[in-house]
Amino acid sequence: MKVSRRDLLLGTAGLTAGIFFTPVPWKVLDDVSIWTQNWPWIPQPARGPVTTKLASCTLCASGCALRVRMAAGYPVGISGNASHPLTKGALCPLGFAAHQLNWHPARLREVRHRGRTASWDEARAAFEKASAEGPIAVVDGRSGRAASTVLQSFADKHNGTYEVVLTAEERALSPYAQWVGVPVSALGYDLENARTIVSFGAPLLDGWGVPGRFTHLWSERAASASDPQLRLIQIEPAFSRTAAAAWHWVPTCQGTEALLAASLAKVLVEEHLVPAQGPLPPASLTEAAAQTGLTPTAIRDLAYSMVERRPTLVIGSDDNPAIAALNVLLGSLGTPGGIVKKPTTPSVTLQISAKNTPPRAVLLDSSVPWEYVPASGVEVFRFAAWDGGGNRADWLLPSPGFLEETTDLPTPPTSARAVYGIAPSLLTASAQLGTAADFLQQIDATLPTVEQTIHARCEAIFRSHRGSVCGEKSSPITGFESAVKFEEALRSGAVWLDESPAATPLKCALKTWPTNNPAHTTGNWANTWAPPVMPTLAAKLYRESSLRETPQRSQS
Amino acid sequence: MKRNFFVFALGFALALVAGWIVFPRVLYSHQAQPVDFLHKTHAEKSGTADCESCHVFNPDGSFAGLPQNDTCAGCHSDKLGTSPAEAKLVDVYLKTQTTTPWLVYSRQPANVWFSHAIHVKRAGLACADCHGTLGASDEKRLYEQDRISGYSRDIWGHSISRLRRAPHDGRTMSDCEDCHHKRHVEVGCFGCHQ
Repeated sequence: MKVSRRDLLLGTAGLTAGIFFTPVPWKVLDDVSIWTQNWPWIPQPARGPVTTKLASCTLCASGCALRVRMAAGYPVGISGNASHPLTKGALCPLGFAAHQLNWHPARLREVRHRGRTASWDEARAAFEKASAEGPIAVVDGRSGRAASTVLQSFADKHNGTYEVVLTAEERALSPYAQWVGVPVSALGYDLENARTIVSFGAPLLDGWGVPGRFTHLWSERAASASDPQLRLIQIEPAFSRTAAAAWHWVPTCQGTEALLAASLAKVLVEEHLVPAQGPLPPASLTEAAAQTGLTPTAIRDLAYSMVERRPTLVIGSDDNPAIAALNVLLGSLGTPGGIVKKPTTPSVTLQISAKNTPPRAVLLDSSVPWEYVPASGVEVFRFAAWDGGGNRADWLLPSPGFLEETTDLPTPPTSARAVYGIAPSLLTASAQLGTAADFLQQIDATLPTVEQTIHARCEAIFRSHRGSVCGEKSSPITGFESAVKFEEALRSGAVWLDESPAATPLKCALKTWPTNNPAHTTGNWANTWAPPVMPTLAAKLYRESSLRETPQRSQS
Repeated sequence: MKRNFFVFALGFALALVAGWIVFPRVLYSHQAQPVDFLHKTHAEKSGTADCESCHVFNPDGSFAGLPQNDTCAGCHSDKLGTSPAEAKLVDVYLKTQTTTPWLVYSRQPANVWFSHAIHVKRAGLACADCHGTLGASDEKRLYEQDRISGYSRDIWGHSISRLRRAPHDGRTMSDCEDCHHKRHVEVGCFGCHQ
């Protein structure tokens, strides 16, 4: 029998059709997808004895407590540690997968000078030369740490400048700092005692402040209740997840928050909803209504809602003096449920230098967010664990990655109570890595070391006899025999929590309604996260966690 | 027309034969265990049908997994019989203190963390719920490895189509999810993945 071309084609068609009635396509597809996950250059978690260690996240200033699952001595999984007094076991999506960061392809493992490989000696010599030629600016992304003391001490001793890059949450506190003369680091939000929270775009439920602090409060006092004990009014153009869960969402036009704040203040004062204890804004209700996209009635109703259940706390998403002034008007400055002054942690106070001389060179600590770019024309020494690309730093200096460095954790921004912890290193950093504090200390050996500073701080806190230690069990600090035992407890994952502060009245120097242009950013955990890269496992969760739905009712 | 149908049907039938019979045989490689081991014989001779006699939980609650050499040496410090398998175990592994390189049928991929302690101690699952009748088997079972994915055949299950499987046959992610859904236990991505 002669096999024709038609037979071949028909036979092939039959084979092709038949193969789809077998497991071959589905099984091969499944296997190939697994095969691509196991290419030899893809890091695989180690196999070995599994243990659990307590640690703290150092990706941002929140210092969330971690329970780290280790296999063969390497971290392979992270979950929250519920004993932490602020986070109560919550973590952001990045923290859940942070153990993968050390294996990221963008990991910086060698000193680089303008694209070529260099040595630590060359970097040190270049920095010393720059330091001799002019003032140095040392930039810190997370003030108050023991390492910050080293950075600031170097700047002060060498006629340099010490600067701190503030997070959006810290910048939102800046106006109060200016008006009451208290540093930003000493101010916090007393969320726990507030009964109404008015948020101007602050993503309270999807990435603001310490993870878990507001979400726990919300779940306990407000979630799924038509008349919650804690009312959240979200003023924001987008129907974000915070807006979706809020008691009341007020969609406004982007960039009109300051005007809306002024018009609310006007209603509050003119309709005697608050005692006139602050400056009166020059805003017109009709003009505000036209620009914000709300009706005058809606603005008036909003003002009434704000004072219906007090204390009322107003939170801005960034440095916006008009929004901050609302708290002054509402009497929420220095009172429970408002902006409060927290007691400083013994011996953790830092005074920030303020010198205006243009620097010859800038040293950026690894805690400074990657996107921070100093003014051009200066030589930049950038410490980082990951190279996110597109950075103009002259020197890229590899620093320890996640859980590779022991550091202390001062009170996170926005917290109303002082806390102190120590994040132990669970991994040994390669000899090719170094911190900015170590780098400066090698240049000036008279500077205090990070370890010395941590010891001194533990000693000072222990001697203060204040607060309690939150670990597996919570116990008063007076129950510890010595400062050494106290420090050991902190190094094994416990956190010191100060006593609840007594309300300290804050005298406000605000005389006229602020009209300067505010910043417009939406802060979330990612904004305070120093590394430029994302762990693989977190990619999906992180992307989803940052999704914001299209505004439905706002006007452009 | 008839011829056309016949040729098409022939191709179709060939595909079915290749897909259902040849493909599974080609896909999996076969390896013998380093030492022939029979669960049933050991259970009968030692008088312990309890899995935890050898697959112990550590004092801290974690699962020790496969028995180490010292567990085997508890009975086989020297040869008890004339079996070549026992002779190999004693001479090659126990006397030289070399870890026996057992091939684990149900080993999960490295990106998965599975806690026996949680499933057995907390959820109260029986060993047979996942491992079937392995503990009572009297066959010298070969270890079958998927040539493409590198995983044990037990992960996918013995039925290549995954149809009409025994409840314990297969340990893919969807199997875990099905069991969790049935028991209304949600653990999220990070509960298992690392």
